[in-house]
Amino acid sequence: MLHQLLHSIIQSATGRLSRILATIAMGVAMLLIVLAVQLQANFQSLLNSPANKDSIANFLVIHQSSENLQRSSKGISSQTIEDLRKQDFTESIGIIESSHFKAGIESPSELFPFYTDIAFEAVADSFLDVQPEQWQWNEESRFIPLIVPNLFLDIYNFQFALSQGLPQLSTTAIQQIPLVIKIQSPAGDLRYTGRIVGFSDRIASVLVPQSFMQWANQQFGSSDNNQVSRVVLRTKDPGNPALSNYLKAHGLKTDADKTRFSKYRKIVDIVAGTAGAIGLILMLFALLVFSLFIRITIATSKADIELLLTLGLSPKALSQFLMRKFFPVQLILMGLVLILLSVCQYLISQWLATQQVILPAYPAVLTFACAAAVLLVIFLTNRQSIRNYVHKHVQQ
Amino acid sequence: MQIALDHITPKPLLDRLSGRGSDIWNQALTFQQGEIIRIKAPSGSGKTTLIHYLYQLRKDYTGSILWDHQETFSSHELAKLRATQISVVFQDLRLFPQLTAKENILLKKAISKNEAVSETQIIAMAEQLQVTHILDQPAGICSYGEQQRIAIIRALVQPFQWLLLDEPFSHLDEANTARAAKLIQDVCAQQHASILLTDLDDDSHFNYTKRYTL
Repeated sequence: MLHQLLHSIIQSATGRLSRILATIAMGVAMLLIVLAVQLQANFQSLLNSPANKDSIANFLVIHQSSENLQRSSKGISSQTIEDLRKQDFTESIGIIESSHFKAGIESPSELFPFYTDIAFEAVADSFLDVQPEQWQWNEESRFIPLIVPNLFLDIYNFQFALSQGLPQLSTTAIQQIPLVIKIQSPAGDLRYTGRIVGFSDRIASVLVPQSFMQWANQQFGSSDNNQVSRVVLRTKDPGNPALSNYLKAHGLKTDADKTRFSKYRKIVDIVAGTAGAIGLILMLFALLVFSLFIRITIATSKADIELLLTLGLSPKALSQFLMRKFFPVQLILMGLVLILLSVCQYLISQWLATQQVILPAYPAVLTFACAAAVLLVIFLTNRQSIRNYVHKHVQQ
Repeated sequence: MQIALDHITPKPLLDRLSGRGSDIWNQALTFQQGEIIRIKAPSGSGKTTLIHYLYQLRKDYTGSILWDHQETFSSHELAKLRATQISVVFQDLRLFPQLTAKENILLKKAISKNEAVSETQIIAMAEQLQVTHILDQPAGICSYGEQQRIAIIRALVQPFQWLLLDEPFSHLDEANTARAAKLIQDVCAQQHASILLTDLDDDSHFNYTKRYTL
């Protein structure tokens, strides 16, 4: 009964329009702040969720930039490699070893004749994106398995074969072609059998097993040149701006496609950060608006509030009534904002799933925690405004 | 409950009151529970001011007013005092114009959390003062006479030990005044409450135990 009567007294003192406008302002500010948090959470999920990880993108082949190569031909120094190993973005580093002997490959088939001089490279197996069954070698073996870039096959099939009138080959077909690998040694050419056993998207080089490379360099190597021209870097996040900044600062380069994402990420970081900052500013503004609304409500009801206190209504009861008048509206508003956000998140995650992008179907726990924190701030602001003003009237 | 006035003088009326005799201002007085006090006062002598001082609405006086030996009250104590021990009919009535006459009465009952008075008793009081027809009307559109009777009923629906009346019948004719005085006397008798009335002229509405001139 008391609350109903108090409601009639206070309600009639403030206009409906001003109440609606203040409520809308608060709702928009709440939406913006939880949206900013959810955007950050979604972005983190897109970056770090295993479902969205690209195994190729996590391995970067790093070499010196062409400008640096012109100035020096020493490759990547061991000091640089050690420094790179210490960086936060580095998970592990694989050194790509080059062959220090002369070699050539020819086809024994008259149907498919070719001969070319060639150099090989090798890297630890854990850095390869393919692990064919035949990818093994020992000193007794006369067979050398090869992994070539997928790009080579594309160039052959779509460029070379067409222009030379040669047949186009499937990956299965090309793996059937026997090759003769000739290695020059002080004792004359040594002949080995070879075959392509796999295709790599990660490393653009003709690869041989690391065990063979180490043995062959030792056996036939023409120099003690141990310079490293390329390394494979395994990283959690190739889009990490710190990684691309580091490479740039040290005159190193990698596949632009993989690190280009760092530029997008910087942009998204700025956008998400700006949205968060704007959300925060709007939230503070909305708190100010609502605090002013409470003050105006009390000010416009000043005579009524004074009379209520005169009649014996306790300031505590009046404060409780005013809190109950304002806070439930804000609570419901935040509930509606969270429902709206959840629906949007669900619909967006469903749509993105059709684009092979996996996003959580529901808002992050952090978003709900943020909503609770915002409600707490609103509650405290309300209480302070009401206490200040009711107390002021009591003193009058 | 006892009221003690210890040489109180309104600061705004210091000049006007100096050199003029008064039974109240600058006197030491004690009003005991059960008394019916009448204070006659010409216009401008501070009649309403005295009621406001007693009801703790204003503090611009010298001297002291003690309610049961207590001079100052916290906001919580003051609210309790007004809701359960002192009731008042203001000269300017002070009803909420946007509430109906009945809501104004029920509001006071709700503030004082007085379950002893039922809605039926409130209607009976309204019948006694002949204002049942305006109970559902906004107080703002009622005549002064009707508003004054509603203000009297409102003052009577809370528990109290002292009833302060500031020209309570100023807008009422003789018949209505008699009915209102009868109702006040009956309720005060039930509650064993005291009355302190201020008015312009002599009257015999109640069996006064003390009469003063302000």
